[in-house]
Amino acid sequence: MRAGPSQEEIRRQNLGALLRYVHVRGPTSRAALTAHLGLNRSTIGALTADLTAAGLVSEGLPQDQSGRAGRPSLVVRPEAEVYVFALVIEVDRLVAARIGLGGAVLDRREARRPRGVRDPADVVAPLADFVREMQRAASPSARYVGSGAAVSAMVRAEDGLVRLGPQFGWIDEPLGEALAKVLSDEVQGGDRAVPVRNNADLSALAEHVRGVAVDTDNIVYVTGDAGIGGGIIAGGRLVSGHGGYGGEVGHMVVNPNGKPCNCGSRGCWETEIGEYALLHAAGRDADSGTGRAAVETLVDAAGRGDAQAQAAIRQVGDWLGFGVANLVNIFNPEMVIFGGNLREVYIAAAAQVRSRLNRNGLPACREHVRLRTPALGDDAALLGAAELAFGPLLADPLEAAADNP
Amino acid sequence: MSATPLLELRRLNKSFGPVQVLRDVDFAAYPGEVTALIGDNGAGKSTLVKCIGGIYPIDSGDYLFEGNPVTVHGPRDAAAHGVEIVYQDLALCDNLDIVQNMFLGRERKHGIVLDETSMEQLAAETLAGLSVRTVKSVRQLVSSLSGGQRQTVAIAKAVLWNSKLVVLDEPTAALGVAQTAQVLELVRRLADAGLGVVIISHNMNDVFAVADRIAAMYLGRMAAQVRASDVTHQQVVELITAGRSGDLGIRDGDAAAAPVRTVKEL
Repeated sequence: MRAGPSQEEIRRQNLGALLRYVHVRGPTSRAALTAHLGLNRSTIGALTADLTAAGLVSEGLPQDQSGRAGRPSLVVRPEAEVYVFALVIEVDRLVAARIGLGGAVLDRREARRPRGVRDPADVVAPLADFVREMQRAASPSARYVGSGAAVSAMVRAEDGLVRLGPQFGWIDEPLGEALAKVLSDEVQGGDRAVPVRNNADLSALAEHVRGVAVDTDNIVYVTGDAGIGGGIIAGGRLVSGHGGYGGEVGHMVVNPNGKPCNCGSRGCWETEIGEYALLHAAGRDADSGTGRAAVETLVDAAGRGDAQAQAAIRQVGDWLGFGVANLVNIFNPEMVIFGGNLREVYIAAAAQVRSRLNRNGLPACREHVRLRTPALGDDAALLGAAELAFGPLLADPLEAAADNP
Repeated sequence: MSATPLLELRRLNKSFGPVQVLRDVDFAAYPGEVTALIGDNGAGKSTLVKCIGGIYPIDSGDYLFEGNPVTVHGPRDAAAHGVEIVYQDLALCDNLDIVQNMFLGRERKHGIVLDETSMEQLAAETLAGLSVRTVKSVRQLVSSLSGGQRQTVAIAKAVLWNSKLVVLDEPTAALGVAQTAQVLELVRRLADAGLGVVIISHNMNDVFAVADRIAAMYLGRMAAQVRASDVTHQQVVELITAGRSGDLGIRDGDAAAAPVRTVKEL
């Protein structure tokens, strides 16, 4: 049995806490860091000196010095030259971005992706092009520290193996391996594993770290495109489950006699509130378009008085509230966030969603739940992938920085 | 949530000549919450808002701000307490730009000249603080803005003055779907930032999308003030149209003054 953490471990912990603080909250004065981290002034000074030496933060005078007496406290800023690549693979789009420490998107590329079954190589190749272009455009002094990827599929956390991606027709595709190869080909010093997670999980994480759910430790994030994804944060931690597949709220069965789902089951939540269900209920056939635009057009038509569109939105809103009530009863979240096209559906059908939640949710579980739309919009998964990529650096700043000179 | 209401009205009465428009109205708005004020046409919503804003003097009743009784004789008194009202017509001047509108009548001066730089900076900061990204330049004329952008400017103008309570009269009435969503998200952000917000709306969806509390008026009386997490769409519609729903609303016993009609009668 050990007596306690060693001095070295405590230092590592403190370095990580300080770097994480300025990464998440932005430039902060030493005085404020002292107050927020509960460390004394000389410790903050020493930690800052170490991080500055490692090129992870810089210090300077505050920009606005007016009206303050005395010597101003130095402001610690995250060094945005330190960057990661964040990759997003969704049903309708591929996104890649170069994101600096502190969360600023330094460069970004996006491509529309046609729906339907595709070879993984068709997804990886454009991402490789994006990474190459952005790497070329980066300044020579910029430092790469890792990558992370989000995909709307069920992913094994351990190695990024996509176990099931119904929207792509993937079963047991080694996506993590393929992306790791891209990074090691395109980026000097990029030969390491690329962590891959579910996009809704990473969206939940991003909204928790720098979005609408900051300081909120119990949240349920549901997002919709062709399918329905979910990310759950309980007690400040992402509920990933044993293998990384947790939070698949789209496949909770709500209607045993319902429509068949592309996961092989029947009556999944997705078959009642997904985009196809909404468009079908409104009598829109496949020819009248799919995707976000089709949902927006439908909501707009309902706003202008299209009765069939209104009825479809109410019906889907009721089902949305039904599932949310179940989730609220199970997780007792402080906040439920509606992302993707569920943002439009929620705003258009809030009365149905709320009413159903109030009817079916347990009063003690639902009394403080706040229903919200995302603050980060469609960039949540991208920023979440960046957080994933920054993970090792924030856990052990000096060690990780030494690996990436 | 917090126990002391930001604004509390007790047994408020207001008559115009022989017509009693508000009858013993109780109303409360809390910091960090959106309170939706709803009711049929002629239920007294606008009169109540004008009493809050100091446009109409009240006949009797208590006006408490942050728990202290105050007297409000005019809009300036209300503004001094931190109450700002955004009326439906927005009261923006088309021929002026965003900065000029936001500081209209309360311009900052540097000696005898206007301090344009600091006003421009503050206007831009306020819009950025509300995460408003749709407005390109704060020197744009208001006439060039869309309906949603105008609403945003009017709301930003209300927030600029360190206000504590912002009252919005039908902010989404004339907007399209996409702009309605943006304005509703803005309303939500105001409350999440700690302000008290009162929103008048006829749209049940808008009410449920943003409100923490719902205050339903019926024929000049407050039928019920309930939490949005406790009621259904159906109940709220009944409160508006009949003044009561199950255990909620105006009781039969004291309904003599204003006859309660059932949904069937209507």
